Amino acid sequence: MKEFLSEFNSKWAPVIGEAIIETFQMTFISLFFSIIIGVSLGVLLVLTRPNFLFSNKIVYFILNIFVNIVRSIPFIILLFFILPFTKSIAGTVIGVKGVIVPLVVYTSPYIARLIETALLEVDQGVVEAYTAMGIKRRSIIWNVLLREARPSIILGLTIATVSLIGATAMAGLVGAGGLGDLAYRYGHIQYEVDVMYATVIILIVLVQGIQMIGNFFAARLKRDS
Amino acid sequence: MIKLTNVSKSFQTKNGVVEAVKNVNIHVKAGEIHGVIGYSGAGKSTLIRCVNLLENPSEGNVYIDGEETTHLPLKDLRHTRQNIGMIFQGFNLLKTATVYDNIMIPLRLSGLRKSEAEKRVRKYIEIVGLAGREDSYPSQLSGGQKQRVAIARALSQEPSVLLSDEATSALDPETTDSILDLLLKINEELGITILLITHEMNVVQKICDHVYVMEDGEIIEQGPTIDLFTKPENPTTQMFLNTISQRKISDELLAELTDAGTVIRLTFVGSATGEPLLASITEKFSARPNILSANIIELKNGIVGNIVVHLDGNRSKNTDVLQYLQQEGVLVEELSHIQ
Ligand SMILES: Nc1ncnc2c1ncn2[C@@H]1O[C@H](COP(=O)(O)OP(=O)(O)O)[C@@H](O)[C@H]1O
Ligand SMILES: [Mg+2]
Repeated sequence: MKEFLSEFNSKWAPVIGEAIIETFQMTFISLFFSIIIGVSLGVLLVLTRPNFLFSNKIVYFILNIFVNIVRSIPFIILLFFILPFTKSIAGTVIGVKGVIVPLVVYTSPYIARLIETALLEVDQGVVEAYTAMGIKRRSIIWNVLLREARPSIILGLTIATVSLIGATAMAGLVGAGGLGDLAYRYGHIQYEVDVMYATVIILIVLVQGIQMIGNFFAARLKRDS
Repeated sequence: MIKLTNVSKSFQTKNGVVEAVKNVNIHVKAGEIHGVIGYSGAGKSTLIRCVNLLENPSEGNVYIDGEETTHLPLKDLRHTRQNIGMIFQGFNLLKTATVYDNIMIPLRLSGLRKSEAEKRVRKYIEIVGLAGREDSYPSQLSGGQKQRVAIARALSQEPSVLLSDEATSALDPETTDSILDLLLKINEELGITILLITHEMNVVQKICDHVYVMEDGEIIEQGPTIDLFTKPENPTTQMFLNTISQRKISDELLAELTDAGTVIRLTFVGSATGEPLLASITEKFSARPNILSANIIELKNGIVGNIVVHLDGNRSKNTDVLQYLQQEGVLVEELSHIQ
C-alpha cells in the first residue's frame, strides 16, 4: 500500500496539484465576479418588484426575463453560444482566462435568483418600520434587507460555489484544465482508474469543505438567540 | 398635533377600484389620545398609513404639528417622518439584532452622533422597563417585551406624535393592559400625542380621550369616549359596546318581562352609583325595581354605570318614575321587544 501510494504520488501528484490550482483559479475568480454581478442583479430584482422600495415594472420585467433566459441554457451550450462575447471581453476563448467569462455568465443569474429568494424572506414590516422612521432607502437596503438576509445569502452563495465547481469540470473542453478535465482525460480516455478515484475524492472533500464553511458562517450570522 | 381633512384613499385593483378610506376628518390635539375602532377591512390601517404617508392619500390634506405634509418632497418628508413614531401589530424588529441594536441602528441611520445615540438607547430602554435585556435577541423575548422594544425604538427618535396600528392585537389581555399603561405613561410624562387604531373596545375604554368608529372606509360615529359609551347611536358602535358589557337582552326575555311592567336601562355618568336613586323611587312611588343587570365601565376620563331594571306595576305610574329619574340626571332608555 505504502509503495503504491508513493509510486502514485511521484507519478500523479504534479498533475493533480496543477489541476487543483486550475480548479481553484477558475472557481474563485469566477465567483468573485459572479457575486458582484449576481448580488446586484438579485437586489435589483427585489427592489423593482411591485410595492417594493424602487418598484419599476419595466426594469423588473426585463431583468426577470434576462435571468430566466440565461438560466435555461446548460453550461456546455452556453460555453459555445457566447464565444464571440467571451472573445471580446477576455481577448481569448481558451485556457483559464477564456473560461472565466462563460462561468460568470452562467453563475451570476443563478446567484441573482438565490439572493432574490433570500431577500424576499425578509419581513417587509421591518422595511416599513424603517421607512416610517424617515430612514433613507439606501440605508434600508444595507441595514435591513441585506443584514437580515445574511444567513440565507451565505447559504445561497455556498450552493452557487458548489455548482460553479461542477461547471468548471467542463472547462477542459476549452483547454482550461482543472480536476474535471483530469478525471475525463486520464480516467475516462486513458482508463487510469486510480486518477479518477483520486479526483473524485478531492472533489468530494472540496465540496464538503465549502459546505461546512458556509454552514458555519450562516449559523454564526443567524445568531438570533 | 395630527389633523386629517377630507382624506380619501382608493386603490386600483384587478377587480376595480377599492375605496379604502372615504372623506375622513380627524383632529388629534397635542397631548391627546384618539382611537379609531372598526372591524377588519374597515380601512383603519390604510387611514393610519396616510398619516405618515406610507400611503399617499388620493384626496385631502394631512397636517402634522400644523405643517401640511402631502406635498412635501421626499427629503423633507423623511424629516417629518422622524417626528412621527409608529408601532405595529407585528413589532417589526430586526431578528438578527439585539434589543440594544434594534434601537441603536435607526438612531445612527438618522444621523445621530454615537455618544448621543447611546444615551438615548439607555434612556428609552429604561422608560419601557427593559433594563437588563439589552443583549437579548427578539426571539428570546415575549410578545409584550418585543412591543416594548418597538415602543422604545419609536420613542428614541423623540417624535411629537405616535401612531399605533393594532399594537396590542397580538397580545394576551394582561400584556395588553401593561402595554396600554405604558402608552398612557408616555402620553402623560412625555406629552406625546397618540393616534391608535384597534378592533378592541377595551383599548379605547382604557386610554382614549376621543373615539372614531370606522366602517367601510367611513367614520360613522365619533365623539369623546364617554359620550360614545353613554349614548351610542350607530348599531355598529352598539355592537362594539356589547363586546365589553352585555347590553342586549334577548327578545323572548324582554317580551316576557314587559308583559308585566317596564324594562329600562339607566346610564349614570360620573361617580354616582344609582343605589340611592333606586331606593328613593321605592319611597316616592312605591315602585319595586328589580335589577336585571348592572355593570360599571371605567373610562380614561370617567366612569359609566349601567343598570337594567324591571319595574312591575302599571304604565302611568312607571312613566312618572322615568320622568323623575331623568330629572335626576340619569340617562333613561326604555327597552321594548320587537313586535
Ligand atoms: N395596497 C392595497 N391595494 C389594494 N387594496 C388594498 C390595499 N391596502 C388595503 N386595501 C383594501 O382596503 C380595504 C381596507 O384595508 P385595511 O386598511 O387594511 O383595513 P383594516 O386595517 O381596517 O383591516 C380592504 O378592502 C383592503 O383589501
Ligand atoms: Mg389593519
